[in-house]
Amino acid sequence: MTALKVSNVSKSFPGVKALDAVSMTLTGGSVHALLGENGAGKSTLIKIMTGIHAADQGEITMEGRPVRFANPRQAAAGGLGVVHQERNLVTRFSVAENIMLDRLGANSLSRVDYKALAAEASRWLKQLDLDIDPMTPVSRLSVAQMQLVEIGKALSLQSRVLLLDEPTASLTPSEAQVLFRILRKLRDDGVAIGFVSHKLEEVFDICDTVTVLRDGKNACDSQPLKTLNRDDVVKMMIGRAERISRRAPRPQPAAPPFFELRDYSSAAGHENVSLSVRPGEILGLYGLVGAGRSELAKAVLGLARQTGGEIRVGGKPVKIGSVAEALDLGVGYVSEDRKGEGLILLHSVLDNAGITVWKSLANALGFLRDGTVAQKVGPVLRKLEVKTPSLDQTIGNLSGGNQQKVSVAKWIAAGVKLLIIDEPSVGIDIKTKAYLHDLIHELAEAGTAVLLITSDLTEMVDVADRVAVMDDYRIEGLVENDRNYERVSTAIMALIHGREAA
Amino acid sequence: MNRLFDNDWVGPALVCLVAVVGISILQPSFLSPFNILVLLSAIAVNMVIALGQLVIIAIGQMNLALGAFGGLVAICFVAVMELYGVPPVIALLIGLAIGTAAGAASGFVIARTGISAFIITLAGLQIFKGINLGITEAQPFYGVPQSVKDFGNHAIFGPIPWLIVPMIIASVGMWYLFNRLRIGRYILAVGGNRTAAELSGINITATIIWAHAISGLLAAIAGMMLVARLQIGQPTIGDDWLISSFAAPVIGGAVLAGGHVSVAGTFFGVVIIAIITQALVLFAIDPFVVQIVLGALILWAVGINRYREIRVAKLNEAR
Amino acid sequence: MTDVTADAMPARRQGSGLLRLLLSNEFGLAVLIAVAFGTFALTLPGFTSPFSLFTIGRQIGIDTMIGLAMMAVIVTGGLDLSVGAIGVCAAMVFGWLAQAMGVPLPIAVPMAILFGASLGFINGYAVVRSGVHSFIITLASMSIFFGIMIFLTKAQAFNQLPPEVTQFGKTRLFGMVSVLLVITLVVCVALSIFYRFTTLGRQMLAAGANPRAAELSGIRTGRVITACHMLTGALAALAGLMLTARTGAAVPSMAGHLGQDWLLPAFLAPVLGGTLLSGGRVSVIGTLLGAAFVTIMTSGLLLMRVGEFWILACLGLILLAAVLTDRLRQGVLRKRGLI
Repeated sequence: MTALKVSNVSKSFPGVKALDAVSMTLTGGSVHALLGENGAGKSTLIKIMTGIHAADQGEITMEGRPVRFANPRQAAAGGLGVVHQERNLVTRFSVAENIMLDRLGANSLSRVDYKALAAEASRWLKQLDLDIDPMTPVSRLSVAQMQLVEIGKALSLQSRVLLLDEPTASLTPSEAQVLFRILRKLRDDGVAIGFVSHKLEEVFDICDTVTVLRDGKNACDSQPLKTLNRDDVVKMMIGRAERISRRAPRPQPAAPPFFELRDYSSAAGHENVSLSVRPGEILGLYGLVGAGRSELAKAVLGLARQTGGEIRVGGKPVKIGSVAEALDLGVGYVSEDRKGEGLILLHSVLDNAGITVWKSLANALGFLRDGTVAQKVGPVLRKLEVKTPSLDQTIGNLSGGNQQKVSVAKWIAAGVKLLIIDEPSVGIDIKTKAYLHDLIHELAEAGTAVLLITSDLTEMVDVADRVAVMDDYRIEGLVENDRNYERVSTAIMALIHGREAA
Repeated sequence: MNRLFDNDWVGPALVCLVAVVGISILQPSFLSPFNILVLLSAIAVNMVIALGQLVIIAIGQMNLALGAFGGLVAICFVAVMELYGVPPVIALLIGLAIGTAAGAASGFVIARTGISAFIITLAGLQIFKGINLGITEAQPFYGVPQSVKDFGNHAIFGPIPWLIVPMIIASVGMWYLFNRLRIGRYILAVGGNRTAAELSGINITATIIWAHAISGLLAAIAGMMLVARLQIGQPTIGDDWLISSFAAPVIGGAVLAGGHVSVAGTFFGVVIIAIITQALVLFAIDPFVVQIVLGALILWAVGINRYREIRVAKLNEAR
Repeated sequence: MTDVTADAMPARRQGSGLLRLLLSNEFGLAVLIAVAFGTFALTLPGFTSPFSLFTIGRQIGIDTMIGLAMMAVIVTGGLDLSVGAIGVCAAMVFGWLAQAMGVPLPIAVPMAILFGASLGFINGYAVVRSGVHSFIITLASMSIFFGIMIFLTKAQAFNQLPPEVTQFGKTRLFGMVSVLLVITLVVCVALSIFYRFTTLGRQMLAAGANPRAAELSGIRTGRVITACHMLTGALAALAGLMLTARTGAAVPSMAGHLGQDWLLPAFLAPVLGGTLLSGGRVSVIGTLLGAAFVTIMTSGLLLMRVGEFWILACLGLILLAAVLTDRLRQGVLRKRGLI
């Protein structure tokens, strides 16, 4: 019955222990939820199971035999299929070709028998209740259909274990229901399904057993979900100690808003968004994945065209055409994608922290010295306790937490009056996370307006003063934060689902 | 109607038609049998050259050494016939082998080191060109057998040159490869989404080597066709292939990032370039204007392809 | 890695500095140059004669300039196939101004360089606005620039330039140092300062390494990348002028068909010198050393009566060897956590 067993797997990366003796058991004919907050180690565990990373310690067995896959290809051949968050399809190819991509012919010069491909593929499509012509190009499918094609591809390899990484992240609720119906069917056929999701409603809807990871350790190992309720699971995910906020609610500053959106619409798809942040206030922006939060931040910074409404900074209506203009107005943005959008990994700590102040520090001819930059950013880096051998160190070599501090430091050095912080605690350790929360508060105390974007509810309740709730590129409402987790989270969820929760 | 215009070759084909009609009204000698023969010979060679680049574009890379492969094969082809009296058929096979081997070697280095194809083929260009000039000392070989010369300037019937035969074989072969053979589909899959191809168990290294070997093979065919057409083994063969080898596929709607090419579109791209070149000669315009036109054509085609991409993206979004 | 908090941050990196130095491109090249130069000096009579040193220095000057022109755009992770075409076009504009229009040299020279920069602007603008890779844009523009130039000049050279031009090209300092090399050295110093001590230079490196992050940090990436292409155009023009001074005439064919003959020196010098093809890191000194190594090898082999065509093949092999060594070197550095 045991299809896949993970026993005491540990994995360290430079500076952080990602997994510490983690265990999990997937059983044929059941759906198993793998839960945890961002950075708890879920994706690392999946990467170890599928051979992208090698475990430092521990063992993985499939149907009793120990396995150690060298790459995802081997894993697939061994009966472990994965549907990743990113689409892994050749979009110009047909559905049939994508499902059968590794079996187009016996050798390089074999003729591709499209009829046979279509026949074989339609067998899997039928099993997925997917009524499409197998010769349709994938580019013509909806996102939900693409997801099902990927599942079909995994199934066609005779996968006995199927891992789905956030499969509903980009699906509508009704599309998700279709997916669940198929997952139940596969479960009844005896497939062992691993299901990673942020949405607890879904987990309780479809899963039988659950493994929760917290800080790289098992908060629970393969427990039946029937014995647990929602609160138990939340407790395991975030840990009891953290649920009680250390901070008292702060009085709202009386100053007029520094930053305001009035019926703002953007080419990215935002409609009639209105919100305002006062100096010294921390406004949270909450929403599920795909709600359009980071997109809002980027649109406001000039990366998407404004199609309606008004942006006001310091009480005056403004047009922002680029991040450079936003910076001139005193608006800064800390990206959630630190490596892709936040930092220049190839360059030094000094260059990364100083990038926002070069222009203001240079003399009339545009000249500036490292010493000048160091004088400006050095104190900020020191204040933030950035741990680095020297300012000259390549930033790619620092730990995630220190990298994150630098990406905040550059905006502090630039003296911004509004700081938009997007998912500040992705991939950093608990200690730095707490430190960053303190820092955000200190900034607010000093009069900076903060717009905090996070999908971590605990973080939201712990840090924000008010929470604006976003769903489908609109603001659904505003929740005052009194640090009462139950009340605030219920209110937020009610706004997202547009109904009073029980 | 819209569906028809989604085909890559329809636009270029229409341009060809308009150009032929327009030019022949202005200059009736454009459709003279001799002129057609010249035109078709040029198209035949340039099509094979373009196919050599097309297969590399399909995998999302580029081959700067295409002309150097072709030039080296061309002079080796003549050299073995002139110096060692090898019969043309054997010399042909030797030429094909050299081209394929050179392509496979550069594909191997690119696939195994992961260094950009640009830099590896730039080095290859220099190495093969250097060997070419080292052997010939920049002097042509004149000992081309009569049979080869005849192939290059005789017609099958009417204004149809023999040179069209290898072009048809190569074009149909490449169409078949991209649409029906496993290796062709793998080349397009790697070009279209390398991660997906890799996760699906496609051997990336082998696929890249295949693509470059085919490119070398086509360059060899084109080089030897040029020997037949020029009637001598010129060491400068291949020097001017670079621009047109990219222009024709791009006009034909190839996506430079890889994953999508059109053999028919490339053919009409080649025809457009040949017609314009020929028209400039007929109207006694400075032949160097061809360079300007070629460059402008590339930019124009890139612009159109970009526009179509954006339109397709919008359509998909709307759906 | 021993962590120190920022309180005690030393200005420079410490430790494993020696290994880093030994594995650096610049050090490796310096050793190679010393070995090659020593060997040739001992075995080839006449290699160290003042005239030989003068011609070698002159060639280093020109090749370095061509390499720097390409380096300025490799910074962005792109490339510019049209450097040769721009260089020749600028040289022809200079010839036209100085010979046909009688413009005084101190005006003609800056105008030619400005002209090169404006051709670079066209490239940069097209790349930024279209979002198409610079390879295909500059492939097209090299054909267009060169075609227009040949069309306008009717492929005729300007060979009645003012005598000062030829005179300048022949000028030797201390009997053996070409003044062209001195110009290049001055440009090298200026560029080193530019990339290290100016806002624009730093912005170029940042935009090249990670355009998205640079844009989100308030850098106007589009303008900066256009500026990179303009710098390339200006340096290519300078290289074209230096070549004109050496030949004593502005010749349309001086960089081969479409200016393609410049491509190898243009890539060889920066790649040997450790400039990353993916962008974001340059080495001006490395480019100089790379060009020096190539020139010394070429001169030595020529003196050894190796055919000049075989030397072309050798240069191709050197490029191949250079990129392969670079891979190995990066592997070692990465394993030791030094990059």
